[in-house]
Amino acid sequence: MKYFLYQLKKHPLAIFGIAIIIFWLLAALFGPSLMQFTHTQIDSDFQMARPGEEGHLLGTDSLGRDILSRIIYGSRSILTVALLTSILSTIVGIILGFMAGYFGGKIDAVFLRGMDILMAIPPLVLSMVVLGILGNSTILSLTLIVSIAFIPATARVSRGVLLTEKSQEYVSAARIRGEHHLYIMFVEILPNTTGPIIVEATARFAYSIMMVASLGFLGVGLQPPTPDWGMMVIENKPIITQAPWAVLFPALAIASLVIAISIFSDFVSKVLIHEQ
Amino acid sequence: MKRTISIMLLILVLAVSVVFAGGDKEEAKDEKIIRIAEQVPGLITPGVWDGQAFSMNGSIYEYLAEMNPDTGELEPLLATAWETEDGSTWKFTLRKGVKFHDGSDFNAQDVKYTIERTQDPTIGHLKKQDFEVVSSIETPDNHTIILHLDEPRPTFVYQLTDYNMAILSSEYDYASLGESKPMGTGPFMMQQLTPKESALLVRNPNYWAEGLPIVDKLAIYFVPDIDASISMLESGRVDVVPFITQVIKTRLEKNPDINVISPYQEMRFISMRVDEKPFNDNRVRLAFKYAMDPQIIARSVAQMDLNDGIFYNETPIMNILAEYKEIPLRGRDTKKAKALLAEAGYPNGVSVPMYYASDHPFGKELAQTVQELAAPAGFDIDLKGYTRDIYLSQYWMNVPLSITGWAGRPDPSMLLLLAFRGGGSWNESHIDNPKINALIDNISEEANEAKRLSYYHELQEVFYEEGSLIDVQVPLLIAVSNKIVNYRHPLTQIPQYKYMDVK
Amino acid sequence: MNKTLLFILKKLGSLLATLVIMSFIIFMLVEIMPGDVAQMILGQSATPEAVSALREARGLNDPVLKRYGRWIAGVAVGDLGDSIYMQGVAINSILWRRVGHSIILALTAFIMFVPLSIFFGVLAGVKENKLSDSIISFFGLATMALPEFVSGVFLITIFAVQLKWFPIVSVIPIGESLFSNLNILILPALSITFVMFGYVSRMQRSSMIQVMNSDYIRAATLKGMPRSYVILRHALKNALLPTITIIGMNMGWLFGGLIVVETLFGFPGMGSLLMIAIKTRDVPLIEACVLLITVIFSLSTMTTDILYSFLNPRIRLQGGQR
Repeated sequence: MKYFLYQLKKHPLAIFGIAIIIFWLLAALFGPSLMQFTHTQIDSDFQMARPGEEGHLLGTDSLGRDILSRIIYGSRSILTVALLTSILSTIVGIILGFMAGYFGGKIDAVFLRGMDILMAIPPLVLSMVVLGILGNSTILSLTLIVSIAFIPATARVSRGVLLTEKSQEYVSAARIRGEHHLYIMFVEILPNTTGPIIVEATARFAYSIMMVASLGFLGVGLQPPTPDWGMMVIENKPIITQAPWAVLFPALAIASLVIAISIFSDFVSKVLIHEQ
Repeated sequence: MKRTISIMLLILVLAVSVVFAGGDKEEAKDEKIIRIAEQVPGLITPGVWDGQAFSMNGSIYEYLAEMNPDTGELEPLLATAWETEDGSTWKFTLRKGVKFHDGSDFNAQDVKYTIERTQDPTIGHLKKQDFEVVSSIETPDNHTIILHLDEPRPTFVYQLTDYNMAILSSEYDYASLGESKPMGTGPFMMQQLTPKESALLVRNPNYWAEGLPIVDKLAIYFVPDIDASISMLESGRVDVVPFITQVIKTRLEKNPDINVISPYQEMRFISMRVDEKPFNDNRVRLAFKYAMDPQIIARSVAQMDLNDGIFYNETPIMNILAEYKEIPLRGRDTKKAKALLAEAGYPNGVSVPMYYASDHPFGKELAQTVQELAAPAGFDIDLKGYTRDIYLSQYWMNVPLSITGWAGRPDPSMLLLLAFRGGGSWNESHIDNPKINALIDNISEEANEAKRLSYYHELQEVFYEEGSLIDVQVPLLIAVSNKIVNYRHPLTQIPQYKYMDVK
Repeated sequence: MNKTLLFILKKLGSLLATLVIMSFIIFMLVEIMPGDVAQMILGQSATPEAVSALREARGLNDPVLKRYGRWIAGVAVGDLGDSIYMQGVAINSILWRRVGHSIILALTAFIMFVPLSIFFGVLAGVKENKLSDSIISFFGLATMALPEFVSGVFLITIFAVQLKWFPIVSVIPIGESLFSNLNILILPALSITFVMFGYVSRMQRSSMIQVMNSDYIRAATLKGMPRSYVILRHALKNALLPTITIIGMNMGWLFGGLIVVETLFGFPGMGSLLMIAIKTRDVPLIEACVLLITVIFSLSTMTTDILYSFLNPRIRLQGGQR
C-alpha cells in the first residue's frame, strides 16, 4: 500500500485518472437517486432546454429528458457491462491460456487453432453480428458476447505469461512433489503472474467501454429507454446544431471514462512491471 | 531509413493532393434532374412491396387512377373512365396507345393479370383479401374490363389506387425480374439500379401524356439514416427527403432554401391485442386509455400542441375526415386507470412488452412517451424496438401491444376491412367484435352516403367504449428544396414526380 | 528462398483451414436467428401454405448440413448466393464494388495514420519526458479515448457543417465512381486515424525509448556519432519492428472502425452493407459479408506476420506461431 501511494506521488496523472474512475463509480452507485429527474422523465415544456435551464444542469434532449440524469444512469449499464466483460474474459482467458500453455502438445495445438479461428473475425464484427441476429440486447447478452469476442486476446496473453513461468524452478519442484496440475496452475503459478494479467485486464476494460459504446452507436446495444451513452450520441446527432449539449456531454462521458481507464492501466503497468 | 521516411512523406503528400483534386462535380446543366434521398427499400415488386421507395416505384409503375392532391378526387390514369351501378359490377374503360417500357402494348389482359395475380398463393400478395371479393373478370375488348364482385363495394375503385395495385404487364416475368428490373407503364424508366445504394430513372420517351414528365431524370439515393439524408439536402446534394421527423423540421425551419411540407396526416396505431391477456379485458384497455395524456403525447412526439397538426382519438377514423365524429377526450385519470386495472384482476399492475419500429418517424418518441405515461397507472411496459422491416415481418400482428404506422386510405372503409374486421389480413389487434363487424360490413356495402355516415358515427362510439386502439395522427413531413416546383403528394402515398419541375 | 516460400504456403494452408471452419460457424450463427426467412419474404399476412411452399422452393426444409454444403460449394466457385430482398440479384453484383470501396478507405486511413503516428511516436520517444513528449502523449491518449463515431460526429460538425470543406455524407453521386469523389474519404479516414494514432504512436514511443536506452545505441552515441544519425540509422530500424506487430494487432480494431465510420458517414462500403444486412436480417447477405470480412482480415493479419518475419529473421525459421 505504501509502495502504491509512493508510486501515486510519482505519477500525478494517475491520481487524476483514478479520481475520474472513482467519480463514475460513485455516480453509477448513488447518482440516480440523487437526481432531480429520472432518466426517462419527459418534460414536454422544456424540450432541448439549454444547460442550466429549469434545473436541467446539462440541458435536455428533444423529448425534454434530462441529459445529466441520463448520463448518470447510463454509467450504470456501461460500467456494469465493461467491468463484467473484462473480468469474465480475463477469467476464461486465464483458464484456457493456462491449460493450453501448461499441458502443451495437442491441447495447445487445438487451443491455438481455436484462437486463430476466433481471431479471424474482428471482435466488433463478431459482436455486432451476433447481437444483431439475436436482437433486443440485454446486459447479459451484451456481456457474454463481448467477452467471447475478447477471449482470444486474453487467452493468448495468459498463455504467454504461463510459458515464461513454466520453466521456473518452483514449478518443477511442485511437480516433483506430485501436486495436482490444477493446483500447480492456479495456486502456484497464478499468483506469480498477476502483474501482466492485471495490466491486460485493465486494458481490456478500456477496450470494453469503447466497444460497448460503438455497439450502442450501431444500434445493437441496449434498447431504449435505457440511456446507453453511445446511443445517446447518435440519437441526438440530428439536433446537434440546435442542442449541441445533447451530443457533447455523452461524448465527453465516454471520452473521460476511457481516458481515465487508459491512464490507470498505464499506471498499473508501470507499477507492476517496476515491481518485478 | 531517411529515404524510407521521405518516400512515406511523398506518398502522403501525393495522396492528399489526389484526394483534394477530386472536388465537387457539377452536373451537366442541360438536363433537368430531381435528386431524392429515400430509405433503403426492402422488397419492391408490386404485390409484396413493403411500402418504401415510393418515389422509385411510384414513378416506374402506374395505376388505373390517381388522386389529385389538391381536391382529393380520383382522376383517370390508365383507366379513362369507370362506372358502377350498385357497387357490385365495375366497368373500366382503359386508355389506348399506352406502352410498357419494354415496348409491349398495355391492354385489358394486363389489368386482368394484375388483379388475378393478387390471388396467387405463391406470392403472398398483400391485397389478396381485398380482392377475394372479385368473383369474375370480363374483358369484352382490349380496352374494357368488367369486374363482378360477390358483394357490393361502392368505393371499390379506391382499392385500385392502393400502392400494391400497380398495373403489371402480363408478359413480363416479375417473379425473377421484379426486384432487379422493375418495369411498368410509368413516366420514368429504370436505367441503372445499384441495389442498396441508388437508382437512376430516365424519362419514358413513349409516355402517353403529352409534355410529361417535365424533368429528364430522377436520381434516387437509398440512405439508411434520415439524418444523413437531411445533411445531403442541406448541402444541396439532393432535393427531396420524404418521411422526416418533427425535430428535423424545426432544424430546417431556419433554412430559407428548404421547405417542409405536410401533404397529409399519417396515423400511429397503438394497438392492444384483444384475444390475449391482459388486453382481452376491456377494463384493461380502458385503464390504458385513461393513463394517456394526449397533450403530453403531442408535445413530446411532435413539439406541437394537440389539434394543431397532431391529433388523438381512440378510433380508426382520422380527425380530418368527413366521417369523423367528435367525441370529447377522456382526460388523464391515473386513479381511475388503477382502479380499472385492479377490477380486472391486476391490483399490482401488469407487465407487458410493447413492440414498435424504431426507425419510423415518431416511433421511438411515441413509444417512450407512452411507456412513461402508462407507468404511474400500473403498466410496466418493456420496450422492444426493431427496424421497420424486422418489426413488420416478424413481430407485428403477434404481440400484445404495438405501435404501427398506418397511412390513411382514401376511403376509410378500406382500412376498416383490412385492420378491424374479424378475419382482416392486417387485423393487428385480433379484434372480432360482432357489433364492429356488422357496422364495417354495413359501411362497405351501403351506397347511401347519409346512412353510411351514421354507421361511421356509431362505429366510432363503439370504438370509444370497447375499441382496441389509440390513434395518434402525425403529419407526414417531406423536406423539399425550393428548387422543386409543384411538389405533389396525394393520400395514395405516391408522389407524382411527372408533374414536378426543377428550377 | 525455398524456406520462405514454404513458410508462406504453410500460412496460406492454415488460413484456408481457418476459413472453412469459420464459414461453418458463420452459417450456424445465422441459423439461430429468430424468425423464418420464408415468412420474412412473404410478410405477416402470408398464408401458412404460401410460406411452406416457399420454404420448399428455396430448399429451406433441407437439413442444416445439406444447406451448408450447398452454400459452401457455391462460395467455393465464387457464387455467394442471392439476397433475400432482391430475388435474381446476385450478392456478387453488390458486394465487390463495396469491398473495393472499403479497401480504398482502409488504405487511405493507413496512409494517414501510419506515417503520422510513427513520426510522432519516434519524436516523443526521442524527447522522452520533455514538453513535446507530454503534448504528443496526451494528444494520443485523448484521440485513443474517442470511439470513431464520437470523433466522427465532431469532425462532421467542424469540417463539414461549419467549414464546409468536406461533404457531410460520403455518398457517391449516381453515375460517378469513387475516384472522382475522393474527398468523401477524408473525414471517415480521419476518424479512424484518430483512434489508431493513439495506439500506434504510444507503442512507437515506448519501443523507441527502449531502443534508445539499449547498450548499442549508447555505445554509438559514446562513439561520437551525431545524434540524428544514430536515431535514423540505428534506433529507428529496431524500434519499427514492434510497431509493425502493433499495427497488425490493431487490424481488428481498424476493421471494426471501418464499419462504424461507414455507417456514420453513409459510405458505400462493406461495413455499411453488413449493417443494412443485419438490420433487415438478410441472411445470405450477412453470411457473405462476414465471410468476406473474415477473408480480408485474415489475409491482412497474415501479411503483417510475413512482413514481420522477413524483417526479423530470427522468427522466420521457426514458422508457425508467434
